[in-house]
Amino acid sequence: MPALTSQEANQLADNFLAMSKVIGEYRMKNFDNLSEAQKQNLKELHAKILDASDELYTMSATLVLENVQSSLDSIRNVTGQMKDTFAKLQNIQKAINISASVAALGAAILSKDSKAIGSSLRTLLDSVKA
Amino acid sequence: MGKKKLKVVYLFILFSFILSGCTNLQYVNNYSTSSLESIQKFEELNSSFNQSCLDKCEERKIEALTIAQEECSCKENEKADSITLLIYYAVRGYFDGLTNLSNGDLTNYQMDTLNNALTDGQFGDVKFDKTQVDACSNIVKIILKSGTDHYRGKKIKAYVKEANFPIKVLINFLDFNLSENLYAKLDVQKERITSSCFDITKNNKYTIAEKRDVVENYYKQLASIEAKQKELLTYSKALKIIAIGHQNLSDNIDKLKEDDIKQELTQYASKIKDIIAEYNKIKH
Repeated sequence: MPALTSQEANQLADNFLAMSKVIGEYRMKNFDNLSEAQKQNLKELHAKILDASDELYTMSATLVLENVQSSLDSIRNVTGQMKDTFAKLQNIQKAINISASVAALGAAILSKDSKAIGSSLRTLLDSVKA
Repeated sequence: MGKKKLKVVYLFILFSFILSGCTNLQYVNNYSTSSLESIQKFEELNSSFNQSCLDKCEERKIEALTIAQEECSCKENEKADSITLLIYYAVRGYFDGLTNLSNGDLTNYQMDTLNNALTDGQFGDVKFDKTQVDACSNIVKIILKSGTDHYRGKKIKAYVKEANFPIKVLINFLDFNLSENLYAKLDVQKERITSSCFDITKNNKYTIAEKRDVVENYYKQLASIEAKQKELLTYSKALKIIAIGHQNLSDNIDKLKEDDIKQELTQYASKIKDIIAEYNKIKH
């Protein structure tokens, strides 16, 4: 027998839930006319069918993984490419900042100002690390 | 025509090209930003498969008047939550990427630090004039933005087309797990507490006052479950519009300059924002 799909499990769960609602309503409407044994039997049957429905809904949710596996792979792939493109575009700003730091360092070296050289060097290193 | 006039015409065309490119991607960004905001409402949902299992376990213990500390077996429900979360992360990741990439600020490169370095510094005998540096920098900025926006637009088109089918599948199954499976599990819980409350009201061992307490508590529980269901349905409504919006975006990604396409994308973004407002109203 082929395995259940998530949709089939959900459909079965819906049927069980509908059945349990019918039993529950019957039990409540006819409560005063039922024997103690009948009341107990109906109560247990109602609870069992509800449990079956509950478990089938959970099963349906776990079976979804089979339906989405290839889509998950495809989206992860596209998202990875997007991140790469985003990083490339951000790197342009980084390159501009590095150029600015290089220019400032060049000017500091030419001015022979040791304090400015140290400060520019730190800024350049920060730009590279950013 | 003089050289100066030609330059002006060239710059005008360049500016128009850049501005139109930005504006088109802005519509994609509006749709994507509101979709992302709406998708992230998942993290505020008050229900989960595991919580439903724990509630059921607690109800059983209350009914049996037991205070035993035994663990509730909810492994399958935890698995259902992990799978739903896995799908959510994938959908959120994609819209996060699309939002970042379509954001106009991404290619608004800041040249100030470079300008300042050139104008403040003394390069031997060479000293750059601030006006000239600013003028050159602005031209570079325009050309850079034009090139990067063109590249960005081309990439987004390819990504949206490639992602259209899998993102719709993922959104549909995220919706299926929440608005069908989890929603129905809450229906099961409603049926269970109704039955339990009914039994107590029919049991002569309890006093009228005790029965009243049970009924009062029943209505409180019912209201809480129904509020969770409403949240799920509102979230589901947003997911459906996001999926339709993405299909529309994919179908028309080559025609983003057309007014009716821009209008449609704006409408999707606006509908999604309305649902976010509706969702926030339920929460508060």
